[in-house]
Amino acid sequence: MAVAAPPTIQTKPLRERLAPLVIPTVFVLIFATVLMVAPASWPKLITGILLPGLTLAAIYFMISAGLSLIFGLMDVLNFAHGSLFMLGGYCAWTCNVWLDPNYAGHWPITIASGNLRFIIGLIVGTLVGAAVGSLIEISLIRPLYKRPIYQVLLTLGLVFVFDALVRTIPAWGSLSRAPIKPPMLTESLSLLGRRFPSYSLFLICLSVSLAVLIALVLRRSRIGLTIRAGVQDSAMVEAMGINVRRVFTGVFGFGSGLAALGGAVAASFIGVYPEMGLEYQLFAFIVVVIGGLGSYSGAAAGALLIGLARTFSDHLVLETGLPTAIASASTVLVMAVVLLLKPGGIFNKN
Amino acid sequence: MQRLRPLLPLVAIGGLASLPFAFAADTTRFWQGVFIQIFILAIYALSYDLLMGYTGMISFGHALFFGAGGYTAAILLRQAEPPSMLIVIAAVIVVGATIGAAVGALSLRVSGVYFSMITLALAEIAFILFKADDPKLKPITGGEIGLQGIVVPAAIDATTYRLRFYFLTLACMVGLYYAARRLINSPTGRVFVAIRENEPRATALGYNTLHFKLLATAISSTIAALAGMLMVLYEKSASFEMLSVNLTIQALLMTIIGGIGTLIGPMLGAATIRLLDHGLKGEFMQALLPAWLRPDLVFGIVYVVLVLFFPAGLMGAIRKLRGKTSRSSVERLRQAMKPKAES
Repeated sequence: MAVAAPPTIQTKPLRERLAPLVIPTVFVLIFATVLMVAPASWPKLITGILLPGLTLAAIYFMISAGLSLIFGLMDVLNFAHGSLFMLGGYCAWTCNVWLDPNYAGHWPITIASGNLRFIIGLIVGTLVGAAVGSLIEISLIRPLYKRPIYQVLLTLGLVFVFDALVRTIPAWGSLSRAPIKPPMLTESLSLLGRRFPSYSLFLICLSVSLAVLIALVLRRSRIGLTIRAGVQDSAMVEAMGINVRRVFTGVFGFGSGLAALGGAVAASFIGVYPEMGLEYQLFAFIVVVIGGLGSYSGAAAGALLIGLARTFSDHLVLETGLPTAIASASTVLVMAVVLLLKPGGIFNKN
Repeated sequence: MQRLRPLLPLVAIGGLASLPFAFAADTTRFWQGVFIQIFILAIYALSYDLLMGYTGMISFGHALFFGAGGYTAAILLRQAEPPSMLIVIAAVIVVGATIGAAVGALSLRVSGVYFSMITLALAEIAFILFKADDPKLKPITGGEIGLQGIVVPAAIDATTYRLRFYFLTLACMVGLYYAARRLINSPTGRVFVAIRENEPRATALGYNTLHFKLLATAISSTIAALAGMLMVLYEKSASFEMLSVNLTIQALLMTIIGGIGTLIGPMLGAATIRLLDHGLKGEFMQALLPAWLRPDLVFGIVYVVLVLFFPAGLMGAIRKLRGKTSRSSVERLRQAMKPKAES
C-alpha cells in the first residue's frame, strides 16, 4: 500500500528565493552580450574595462552611500548632495594649488610636499563638507520635517545657490580646472602587460575599505544599531529615549562628509568644474534607485553595477563607432531596465 | 467689489493688450520683448503648476519638455524646405505628448521623490546628449553652439513684426490659461486633484490613477513643449540651455513665488521673476549691489527664503489679505510627497 509522501516543508517559493539574483543575472547577460559584439582580450578586459569600472564605482559609492543613508533615516532626499561633492572637490583642489610654494599667489603658509598637500586637501574637503552638511540640516532642513515636500524643493534651491556661489568666488570661477595628482600616485603600474594608473587603484582601495568600515560600524557598534533602528522606525527610537534629532544631524553631516571626500579624491582624478556636482549626483540617483533608497548595501551594489555598465558601454561605443554621448546615456537605460523589472530597487524588501 | 470680480480677467487682458502703447516710442520695442518672454515663461509655469499644483507630482525634469518642443520646432524650421507652421505646431504637440507619456510611463511606476529623481535623471541625459560635441550628433543637435539662424515664417517674425508676435504670445497664454482652467474644472481635473489629495482613496473609488497621472504628465508636457516652441520662434535659436536644470528650477521658482496650485499664481510668478531679473541686471542695481552678488545667487537665496517662510506664495498673500482662510497648499501637498514605502 502506497503511502503518500510526506509533504515537503514549504519555505519561501522558489521564485521569491531567486528574486535577488534576477538583476545581477540580467547584467551578467548584458555584459556578456557586449563582449560578444565587441570582443576584448583578457588583459584588456581587466585593465581596460573591469578596473576602470571599479574606479567609477568607487566614486559613485562615496556619493550615493550618504544619500541613501540620509533618505533611509530621515526621509530627506538631499538634492544638494552633489553640491557637497563639488564643494569637497573645490576645497581639495584649492589646498593643492594655494598651499604650493611654487604657485604665484600662494597662501602665507605653504607646504612643500605635494603628497602632504593632497592629504590635507582630502581632510579639509571632508571636514568642510561635513560641517556645511550639518549646518544645512540644523538651519534649513530641520524646520521643514513637518513639510517633507518643501525639503525637496529647498535642497534643489541649494543646488542653485552652491552653483552660483562657486562661480562667484573669483579663485574658483566657472572654468574647468585640471586635476592635480599627488607625486606618490602619479605613476602607472604595469598590470598584465598593460599600464594602469596607480591613482585609480588608490581610489578603489579607499572606497572598498570605507565601505567595509561603514558596514562594520553599522552592524557592530551601538551608534550603528541606533541608525539601523532609526531607518526602521525613528519614532520608536525616540521613544526609547535616544535623541534622534542629534543622530539625524550626525548622519547628515557624515553623509555630506563622505560625499565631500568623494569629491576631494575625484578632484585629483577628473578635475573640478561647477557642473561636476549635478553630473555625479545624477549617477548617485541612478545608483540609489537601482539599489533601493535607504539601503546601504543597495548603494554599494548599485554603484558597482553602474560603474561597470558605464565602462562596458564605453567599450561597446568605441568598438562599434556609435556616438560617444550614448555611453553617458547608457546608465539611464540601466536604470530603466531595473525599474521595469523591480520598481523598488534591488534591495528593497517591499 | 464682489460684483466687479467677473470683470477682472477682462481688465487684465485689456491692460496687457494696451501695454505696448503705454511705453514711449523708443522703449516700447524693448518692453514688448520683455513681456513676450514673460508670456512664454507664464505658459511654461502654467504647465508646471498643472502637474505639481493640481496632480501633486513634482517633476524635476520639466526643462526636458520645454526643450523637446523647442528643438522639434528648431530642427523642422531649419530644413531646406521648412514645413508650414501648422505642421510644426502639430509636430511639437505630438512630440510633447509622446515624451511626456514616455517619461510618465517610466517614472510613474514609482511615486514621491522617486518620480522627482527619475525625471531629473532623464532630463539630464537629454541635456548631456544635446550638449555633446559629438561628430555624429552635432549635425542634428548643434552641440554646444545650439541651432542658430532659424528662419521663422515671415508673417510671425518677431524682428519685423514685434507687436504682432506680442499679441500672438498673449493670445496663446490667455488661450492656454483658459484651456487649463477648463481642464481643472472638468471631471478629469477633479480626479487630478483627488490624486493629489489622497491617491489610495482615488484608487478605491475605482479610478485608474496611473492613467490619470499619465494624462496629466502628457498634457503638462505638451503645454511646456508649446512654450518651448514659442521661445525658439522668438529667439530664432535653440540651445542646450533650454534643457538645463536651471530652467526646471525657474519653473519651480515661478510656481512657488506665485503660489502652488492656483494657475494664475505661477503666471504672476513668471512676471515677477523676469522683471526682478531685469531690475537686478539693470545699471541702477548693478551699481548698488556688490559685484559678487550675482542675480543667480540672489534668486537662489530668495527661493530658499520663500520655501522656508512663505510657502503659499503671492496668491497665498493675496488670499490672506482678502481674508479667505483656505487650507494651505502646504497641507494639501504633504500627502503627495509621502514616500510610497511607508503606506
